[in-house]
Amino acid sequence: MSLSLATSNPPPSEMAMQPSANASVTPFPVKCQIKNVGFYYGKFHALKNVSLPLHDRRVTAFIGPSGCGKSTLLRILNRIYELYPNQTATGEVLVDGQDILAPGLDLNLVRAKIGMVFQKPTPFPMSIHDNVAFGIKLYERLPKSELDDRIEHALRRAALWDEVKDKLRQSGLGLSGGQQQRLCIARAIAVQPEILLLDEPASALDPISTQRIEELIAELKSDYCIAIVTHNMQQAARSSDYTAFMYLGELVEFDETEKIFTTPREKRTEDYITGRFG
Amino acid sequence: MVAIPQAPAQRRPAGHAGDAVFHGLTVFFALLVLMILGGVIGSLVYGAWPAFRQFGFGFIFNGAWNPVTENFGALAPIYGTLVTSLIAMLIGVPVAFGVALFITELCPKWLKRPLGTMIELLAAIPSIIYGIWGLFILAPFIQEHIEPALIATLGKVPGIGLLFSGPPLGIGVLTAGFILAIMVLPISSAVMRDVFETVPPMLKESAYGIGATTTEVVWQVVLPYTRVGVIGAVLLGLGRVLGETMAVTFVIGNSHHVNASILQPGTTISASLANEFTEAVGDLYLSSLIALGFILFVITFIVLAAAKLMLIRLQKGAGASA
Amino acid sequence: MQLYTRRRISNYLVVTLSLGATAFGLLFLIFVLGTLLTNGIGALSLSLITQATPPPGSAGGLTNAIFGSLAMTAIATLVGTPTGILAGTFLAEYAHGSRLGELVRFINDVLLSAPSIIIGLFVYALLVVPMGHFSAWAGSVALAIIMIPVIVRTTEDMLNLVPSTLREAAAALGAPKWKIVVTVTYRSAVQGMLTGVLLAVARISGETAPLLFTALNNQFWSTDLNRPMANLPVVIFQFAMSPYADWQVLAWAGALLITAAILVLNIGARFFASWSGLQK
Repeated sequence: MSLSLATSNPPPSEMAMQPSANASVTPFPVKCQIKNVGFYYGKFHALKNVSLPLHDRRVTAFIGPSGCGKSTLLRILNRIYELYPNQTATGEVLVDGQDILAPGLDLNLVRAKIGMVFQKPTPFPMSIHDNVAFGIKLYERLPKSELDDRIEHALRRAALWDEVKDKLRQSGLGLSGGQQQRLCIARAIAVQPEILLLDEPASALDPISTQRIEELIAELKSDYCIAIVTHNMQQAARSSDYTAFMYLGELVEFDETEKIFTTPREKRTEDYITGRFG
Repeated sequence: MVAIPQAPAQRRPAGHAGDAVFHGLTVFFALLVLMILGGVIGSLVYGAWPAFRQFGFGFIFNGAWNPVTENFGALAPIYGTLVTSLIAMLIGVPVAFGVALFITELCPKWLKRPLGTMIELLAAIPSIIYGIWGLFILAPFIQEHIEPALIATLGKVPGIGLLFSGPPLGIGVLTAGFILAIMVLPISSAVMRDVFETVPPMLKESAYGIGATTTEVVWQVVLPYTRVGVIGAVLLGLGRVLGETMAVTFVIGNSHHVNASILQPGTTISASLANEFTEAVGDLYLSSLIALGFILFVITFIVLAAAKLMLIRLQKGAGASA
Repeated sequence: MQLYTRRRISNYLVVTLSLGATAFGLLFLIFVLGTLLTNGIGALSLSLITQATPPPGSAGGLTNAIFGSLAMTAIATLVGTPTGILAGTFLAEYAHGSRLGELVRFINDVLLSAPSIIIGLFVYALLVVPMGHFSAWAGSVALAIIMIPVIVRTTEDMLNLVPSTLREAAAALGAPKWKIVVTVTYRSAVQGMLTGVLLAVARISGETAPLLFTALNNQFWSTDLNRPMANLPVVIFQFAMSPYADWQVLAWAGALLITAAILVLNIGARFFASWSGLQK
């Protein structure tokens, strides 16, 4: 039952927490709960009071015009913003009940649990084998055969194995753009994370590679909680189960993807989806 | 499909000790750089102190240099350093400018890189090579051809004639200045080239589009835009030339006299050090030489600091107007 | 029409002058290298590498000088390279916007352009005086101090060229900072850093002034690092300024050797840089 629009609405973040009456997506448990998260670039208040759940084994897409804060939010989830000075996050991000923004946590272990793939493919200047092994070797001491198995598994899940199985010792930089991105995905899943963050993973790729990445995401979601930032609305509509629409640092609306794209509750959402701005 | 392996129950934490150690190492060596400079300044001051205490400020203006009576003054070396550097800049800077202009604006694209490399090779040649070449090749040439011509022409002009008086020796301030000009050429032109290339092509294209000639574009668009950077390039070259030792030592003649004529021998601070340091007997002699070194360090430091400031201002200006 | 003609003439003049300036520069490059070649080649002979430097008035070779130069350059490189790389790493990876970083960078530039004879004076006071004698150690330290700022500069520049997304990707996998720097960032920048080291070696190969007060010279063959050691630049200095023809001939030979080595290093470094750039 869609609720009436405009003035009488409770704040979007509250509404976002309540599942719609006709839930058509099988609800999996919430893997990651984002609670009242804010973000500052120096004095600039970039994110305001964002709260939403990320369900396990489901894909949650973040859409919105440039500068709305969707990438900023994603980068909070694995605390990668801490590489830079003058950037601070407030609020809580609960992963399996534990707040990962709390001080005193081993940051590297947090990041091992939450994998990230970036917009531009970033293969390390080493062989394909070493690229995938990089993350594994940080944490585990494995005999060679087991390491090779893990690498093969990761490359298979990233739909790259058949193309590179004969050239594992060659440099990762020699692959095509789409292959490099799949290598980055393989590298991320090789450490067996529980959450996968994808920051516009296909925006630097050609349409065919994009399609393969989308197919890959559909397969991967059976094992991971996936959050994907995309400026391509059609991609969000195709690939995700839940969608969050953000605008100017605020979460405007969060719901099942089908609902967002057919019967959005907020006027701003509707305007964005129908292309009136952005 | 390969079966999904189990997630590791316990990941061992990646090296935090490693982070502290590595960070510490980098900080240590960075501080070492600071300490080296501190050591340089400290040792200069310490070594020069006896001379300054003995002679006071007048050391700088004393033209004598007598190891027997232990009367030392820095006037001749300082004068020589400044005059040779001046000659070097007067000859070298316009040429460097011409080279930079040619390479950035006039030369065909395929020639740019090889030409630039060749000019830079001039900078790679160590100064002792210039010294030996200057002594055996350039000095005789200047003695036989250039100096007689100068004496016969400019030497006859009242006033300026003083600059060109005396017998043609080949060895002397002029030759040293000339070699320094060749040495300042590659460094100054390289920095000027970099500076010229910071001009946005759009700016130059607008000027060319109106029908300006190359000269006009350079004079009225490129130069005003890069004025500060060009001065920085000049100062950088000057800093290099002030401290140049070997090339000068070979051809300056090593005479502690202040002469109006640039055809006469003289000395520079670095040439005095190179020639006399290992044979200096007596603490005051040694200390006076170190005092010369201290003065040289101060002069080059000021020049180089000014050059850096100019170049930083150019970068900021380019960034701001971009 | 008058104005237009004047503009054309002055443009023509300036173009000609700048062409002349370039020709002037190239002329002297060829002149210097040419005379070096003609005078030096005549002096090349097997005795250069079989005999040590002779007393005045007799023939000989340059073995002790060649050995000394090689040895001191090698030691200076071993000492100066890690120092320079780690200090440069500090500037690029740990010092963003910090006051200490700015200070180190500034001081490094001062050292980079400081007259090398001053460095010689410093090492004289630091090592030669306390030790009581000249030595190859002191010479190596002086050369290392000249190398370090060059390597710091090139290392910092090369590391700054590595895109930050590469570091982020490694951090996102949970790598600690030192591992990111050593296994990813260094690896990305290794060719540029190596080029910087090569150029620094080329720079110290011809340095004379700092050796004058540290390693001095040694007439005889010696491998004792704790004693004065012969080296090509100081030998050239001494022999060229002397009135003995035999010595002068050896000076030219030494000059040719040094210049050849430096040119090979320089050109080699450039080719290495562009070749490895093509590899990607």
